[in-house]
Amino acid sequence: MAYLTVANATKRFGETFTALKDVSISVERGEFFTLLGPSGCGKTTLLRSIAGFNQLTSGSILIEGRDLGSVPPHKRDIGMVFQDYAVFPHLTVFDNVAFGLKARKVAKDEIARRVPQALDAVRLGALADRLPAAMSGGQQQRIGLARAMVINPQLLLMDEPLSNLDAKLRVELREEIRDIQKQIGIAAIYVTHDQEEALAISDRICVMSNGHIEQLGTPQQIYGNPQTLFVASFVGTINALQPGPALDGLLTTLGLAELAAAHANSKWVVRPENLVIAKVAAASGEPQATISGRIAKYTYLGREAHLQIRTDLGDLVVHVANPDRTSVQLEGDVTVAVARSAVLGFDADGKRIGG
Amino acid sequence: MPRIGFWTIVLIFTWLLLFALLFIPVGSVLVSSLYDNAGNFTLGNYIKAIGDERIQRAFFNTLLVGFGGLAGALILGSIMAFCVSRFEITGGRFVSLLAIMALVSPPFIGAYSWIVLFGSAGIARTALKSIGINIPTIYGLSGILIVFSLKFYPYVYLMVSGALSNVNRSLEEAAEGLGLTPFQRAMKISFPLVLPALSAGGLLALIHAIADFGTPRLIGRGFNVLATEAFTLYSAEIGSNMSMATTISVILVLMSMVFVLMQRYMSRRNVYHGNMINKPHKIRLRGWKNVLAHFAVYAIGLAGAIPVIVAVIYSFRKTSGPVFQSGFALQSYERIVFGLGDVITNSLTFSVASVVLIVLIGTLIGCLVARRTTLNTSLLDGALMVPYVMPGIVIGIAFIAAFNTGPVVLTGTAAIIILSIFIRRLPYTVRTTSSALRQIGPNMEEAAISLGYSPFRAFLKVTVPLIVPGIIAGAMLSFVTAINELSSSLVLYVGRTMTMPVRIYLLILDGDFGTAAALSTILLLLSGTAVYIAFRFLGRNEQALL
Repeated sequence: MAYLTVANATKRFGETFTALKDVSISVERGEFFTLLGPSGCGKTTLLRSIAGFNQLTSGSILIEGRDLGSVPPHKRDIGMVFQDYAVFPHLTVFDNVAFGLKARKVAKDEIARRVPQALDAVRLGALADRLPAAMSGGQQQRIGLARAMVINPQLLLMDEPLSNLDAKLRVELREEIRDIQKQIGIAAIYVTHDQEEALAISDRICVMSNGHIEQLGTPQQIYGNPQTLFVASFVGTINALQPGPALDGLLTTLGLAELAAAHANSKWVVRPENLVIAKVAAASGEPQATISGRIAKYTYLGREAHLQIRTDLGDLVVHVANPDRTSVQLEGDVTVAVARSAVLGFDADGKRIGG
Repeated sequence: MPRIGFWTIVLIFTWLLLFALLFIPVGSVLVSSLYDNAGNFTLGNYIKAIGDERIQRAFFNTLLVGFGGLAGALILGSIMAFCVSRFEITGGRFVSLLAIMALVSPPFIGAYSWIVLFGSAGIARTALKSIGINIPTIYGLSGILIVFSLKFYPYVYLMVSGALSNVNRSLEEAAEGLGLTPFQRAMKISFPLVLPALSAGGLLALIHAIADFGTPRLIGRGFNVLATEAFTLYSAEIGSNMSMATTISVILVLMSMVFVLMQRYMSRRNVYHGNMINKPHKIRLRGWKNVLAHFAVYAIGLAGAIPVIVAVIYSFRKTSGPVFQSGFALQSYERIVFGLGDVITNSLTFSVASVVLIVLIGTLIGCLVARRTTLNTSLLDGALMVPYVMPGIVIGIAFIAAFNTGPVVLTGTAAIIILSIFIRRLPYTVRTTSSALRQIGPNMEEAAISLGYSPFRAFLKVTVPLIVPGIIAGAMLSFVTAINELSSSLVLYVGRTMTMPVRIYLLILDGDFGTAAALSTILLLLSGTAVYIAFRFLGRNEQALL
């Protein structure tokens, strides 16, 4: 039995809007579990339902087999980190972190021991006596994190905790969050709309859209083996191959024609980094095809370069790693090689075919 | 759930309160204006009022002083705002302080001090006469307009300087980059951006000008406006004409309502929330421009504060009876200590009592309005608008009409004065509380709840400490309004319940300027202390005074 189980959760707001449709997930002890999706997909609603701030219309939430349905939020023993930090501006850093311990009637000397520990873990040990008002967003969120963890909750919930921070800090802090979570071995549920963040931080990812689960799996499964067109396009980038004789020819060469014929209006996509500028892709023994085209645009990004190539299959973007060390053609006609496993097919409903 | 029960009780209580203190009294004014002295229904009062030349004149005079005060306040206020927020002015904070002093001093002190300086025997006028310059006395329309302009310019100044310092500098730089001259830039970029603040501040000045009673009464010399007309009709010893007084009150309310609605519309249009990445910076002027800017700012600031300065100086002058002698003494204060202590006690008791009521009940209603948004609470929010449009004199007359006879007789008690201040100032507290609560947002409370505090304890531990400074500051500002209140108290007071503003007003009418000045100084000191405390809690937020 999983540590946290959400079974058939449905949440309706008013008569018309359904934020969650029959969602079931389970999270293991010590697991870092991420809810990923665009805004309005229901991920925050699910998180707030687990915290107890939303009542589910139907369905159940259990921790270690105990139903939380009738437990009010303040008795659920769940640490929560907020997008806007929600750090109490009238309390010092120390008192912010001690706030939850006081509610639990923890003895004074134990508070004096545990709070500095938690502050050291988020590297704020030196700022304990300061008021949070003048602190940076990153520091405030560290307070939020320490405050949620110091109570040793059963579950740590994080609602887009990094989305108000700048890019560099986001990367830095997400590594820290991940390290701390592993260190104390707590089960954590993390909400984000940033796919890169989700891939970097999670043990498992649950991709959601429109209140339902699109796919649930490890980061490798989500990125490398997307089960729906939505997941393929939301996590990472894709080139959609234009339907027509060129696509039919490509699919025949790759031995995918039968599969395509079995599904009317199927859609075929390929990730930019799986296209190779060359006559032949790396030898792997699987069927390969070549696409010829003409370079329309060259974008240099330092560690990689993006080539936009006009072909009979539409404009394709090809990523070239380390452009300074590889001789990249900047203009003119090119040939792009693609292996069979790089081409992903989806049926008319957006479900993966042949995966 | 017990909490819902509690808030339902608050809601019912609030409606009862509004009915008892607002709708029924004001309604009875409206109704009594529709009956003649014999108790028959009639529109005769209105027909008579419209036909009466004196009331016609009062009506146009009210509009005249209103728009005259508006124009003067706009000119003075925007000049000062522009100079202070765009140029480096030495002692800029002192200038702001002068503006605040003008704002918190009761207008009738202004009127009185201007009489001292420029009345028939005014010292400034006499001095000018001795060097051969003859200037007219201050009495009449021009005097009222001068006093109103100098009294109400801070509304415009505070509003506009706030807006001006919020105009993103990049916008002006962008306009400069597009080839606009500094003057074109001011007209096409800065002016439209501060126009909502300008109009909102101007209308505030207008609303206060048409409701003001003390100034036209003291300085008008026969120049009647609706507020003085209502009071005269009400207080005439022989032939007190209550139904006509109420008729005029209704006309005054309607007029003020139009402008309040305009003011709210204008402040709501104040929607240019640019990003504040690039704050405007102040230019250091050089040469004659610098001198001119400093002169303008200091001239306006000092002229606005002259009444206060004159009152303070005169309070220390030696007197013989009501006549000033040369030299300084503490006689005026001695007279207050030995004769008028009860007036100060009254003022303090009434103000503190009404502020305590306002804070307790206003905060509760504010929470209700902010956190439980239903049709009922938004109706309540709308109903709380009503006291905004009520000139004090109308509330006074309404309270007399409602509580003179009938089930609850309050005439002549302290309660009636406290309640009249309470109901007028209540909406401000409700609004500041509810907007403070909306700003905090539910996340902060939810964080506390997730840490193990029950919703009620989370509210006590997190939300209350966060809104308390705002509440205290609001209470202090309510105290300033309460202790300076003249027009409603003038209608409601009896000998035992006389307050400082009423006493000062009567002293000025009696010609005892020394005692009036001393009492005014004490009043200013109390107001100043309250403003100081408010700023301590709010962090010098001058806009909160509006």
